[in-house]
Amino acid sequence: MRASDYVGHAWANLWKKKLRTVLTTGGVVIGVGSLICMFAFGQGIQRNIKDRFNELELFNYINVTPRSGGGPRSARLRRHARPQPAGDPNESVAVLDDDLLEELTQIEGVEAAYPEMRFPAQIRLGSREQFTLVQVVTSKACGSALVQLRAGRAYASDDANEVMVSDSLLRRLNVTQPEDAVGREIEIRTVVLDFSLQSLARMAFGRGDQRLPVSNRVYSFTIAGVLERMGFGGPLPIRSDAFVPPGAAAGMRKLVLTGVSDLFQLPEETAGYSAVTVKVASTRQVMSVKASLEERGLRTFALMDQLEEMQKGFIIMDMFLLAIGMIGIAVASLGIVNTMVMSILERYREIGVMKAVGATDGDVQRIFLFESGMIGLLGGVFGLALAWAVSFVINQVVNGFAAREGVPFIQYFSFPWWLCLSGIGFSILVSLLAGIYPTRRAARVDPVVALRHD
Amino acid sequence: MDADGFIQIEGLTKVYSSGPVEVVALRDATISIGRGRFVGVTGTSGSGKSTLMNLLGGLDTPSAGRIRVDDRWISDLSKTDLALFRRYTIGMIFQSFNLIPSYSAVENVAFPLLFADVARKERIRRATELLAAVGLEARGHHLPSELSGGEQQRVAVARALVNRPAILLADEPTGNLDSRTSRQIVRMLFDLKTERGLTIVMISHEEALLREFADELIRLQDGAVLSHETLRDRP
Ligand SMILES: Nc1ncnc2c1ncn2[C@@H]1O[C@H](COP(=O)(O)OP(=O)(O)OP(=O)(O)O)[C@@H](O)[C@H]1O
Ligand SMILES: [Mg+2]
Repeated sequence: MRASDYVGHAWANLWKKKLRTVLTTGGVVIGVGSLICMFAFGQGIQRNIKDRFNELELFNYINVTPRSGGGPRSARLRRHARPQPAGDPNESVAVLDDDLLEELTQIEGVEAAYPEMRFPAQIRLGSREQFTLVQVVTSKACGSALVQLRAGRAYASDDANEVMVSDSLLRRLNVTQPEDAVGREIEIRTVVLDFSLQSLARMAFGRGDQRLPVSNRVYSFTIAGVLERMGFGGPLPIRSDAFVPPGAAAGMRKLVLTGVSDLFQLPEETAGYSAVTVKVASTRQVMSVKASLEERGLRTFALMDQLEEMQKGFIIMDMFLLAIGMIGIAVASLGIVNTMVMSILERYREIGVMKAVGATDGDVQRIFLFESGMIGLLGGVFGLALAWAVSFVINQVVNGFAAREGVPFIQYFSFPWWLCLSGIGFSILVSLLAGIYPTRRAARVDPVVALRHD
Repeated sequence: MDADGFIQIEGLTKVYSSGPVEVVALRDATISIGRGRFVGVTGTSGSGKSTLMNLLGGLDTPSAGRIRVDDRWISDLSKTDLALFRRYTIGMIFQSFNLIPSYSAVENVAFPLLFADVARKERIRRATELLAAVGLEARGHHLPSELSGGEQQRVAVARALVNRPAILLADEPTGNLDSRTSRQIVRMLFDLKTERGLTIVMISHEEALLREFADELIRLQDGAVLSHETLRDRP
């Protein structure tokens, strides 16, 4: 028998029993449709997360700290030439200073390298006050394409007595037009841990917040520019609302935060950078940049490293969705088995005729397998259509609600070509598997019994 | 009764055993049939006529004994080779016609060609030609249910011939037909034998009909060959 004959024969037989074919195929359509829907949803989520990460360029950042034990502490120890309690004093430890920053910028693929330094401060503009984290950023980084300016300009130099603020901070300070803020005076009040005698005395005899070992310093700056709220972030950027140049920052007494360990450092000791963020131009270069950073004796952390973990998570999610989707497939395949068994019982005599006119057992089995496979093909194609239609409706409805909350349109489902093809292929495969038992029965029909007149 | 006949049946035995009960449907039958002969088989109900025909047609396998057709011992063939033997050497017709109810006359006649790898156009051409040969050229697109019993059996004859077999086996082909139609059908078989050189084995209860058209007559009783007489000699 020719393949085209099998197909034509199968199609003709299914067409003859339209209602039964439609009902059986309907089961497959629902089963395959829900499976594809589940997968498309999983794919959609994964794509959205990855797109978001790529959009924020989270994969492009590497967080750099000095190697060995205490991280920032060891860098500091070397700077201050204090005797190390243990270990080799000649051990070479990279120091995160401006020279090194300059050197890191020269590494192939590095777009920018800047120190990671934030301090908490109270900002006052006119009569309004806001508490926020101030980030120390070089004028070079501030003038780069990393920044989206709203008004004004980047600060003139690393030593300028200027700040840049975010539009969202301005709004909280009651300024609606970014242009209005440019050139105005702003006050930054820093908080410092103070273990001076005076302060200790206050702790012992004072009242309320005076009992904390902190003191305030007030510095005055000019707003040079307004930018969109952003983080000069490492892998997980904490968004900052105010930026000051390093030169000006050096002169301030402040509580610097780059990590938890910084909370326990005295401000005077924070001479070097405890952490540096390196931005790589392309995610493809992240691994090579990481390697050359580590060659320089630095410790690195990139979200790129977590990608594998993330993908493992995605696989588990896919498996879970697959397990749910398989319920529908199991029901659909029982439907196929039932239909095929019925069809074979009905066509018992026909099978006898097939054999009498020279069909081999294999011919008979293949004739019925093609019918089964055809149900799978139809079920797969229409199941895909159903999945697409359902996901379209869900997308419209959910986004309709989300739009009222001002959330932008999100495509929750993704139908990559391989999902469509393997959905249909899987449907055919399942149908063929479901057809194995009934079609083997058909192949084994005894023609003598089947043809005996009644 | 030449020992080197076209069909040679030797010591053919078929035993059906259902549980402890054993039924000997065919007992040590030895028959020789020459090429191009029209052989009638008769006997009481249960005498083993259908059993003999199913063994001859390769639909069933014997418990003992063997069958040779031309130069092949078909009782030694594998399942698949038996199917090929049925496909190219044997044509069968039955009392209950056994047409596929959902197929038109042409489709029924063309059906065996599906397994013989014949292209669709050629299948239809050959089926139409054979329908004309059995006098049904005008009824090609009718379903079996739209045809009379005699017409259905003629469609079945056309189907049996479509693969150009050497042997036509007919198991009570007139069992469901009135005597006039029965005679028409047997006459048609007789003509086909003459025109195409077919070897025909036909089972029937109507001995008179067989005596009119057949060359030889075999009588079975309780699964054994009771008599094998020659009615007409070779031309
Ligand atoms: N599958 C079977 N299982 C058990 N016994 C069987 C089977 N097929 C036939 N027989 C028995 O074998 C014997 C011969 O049967 P067969 O059908 O060959 O008779 P027949 O001569 O064709 O009869 P009829 O004229 O009624 O068609 C009968 O006794 C029948 O009951
Ligand atoms: Mg019989």
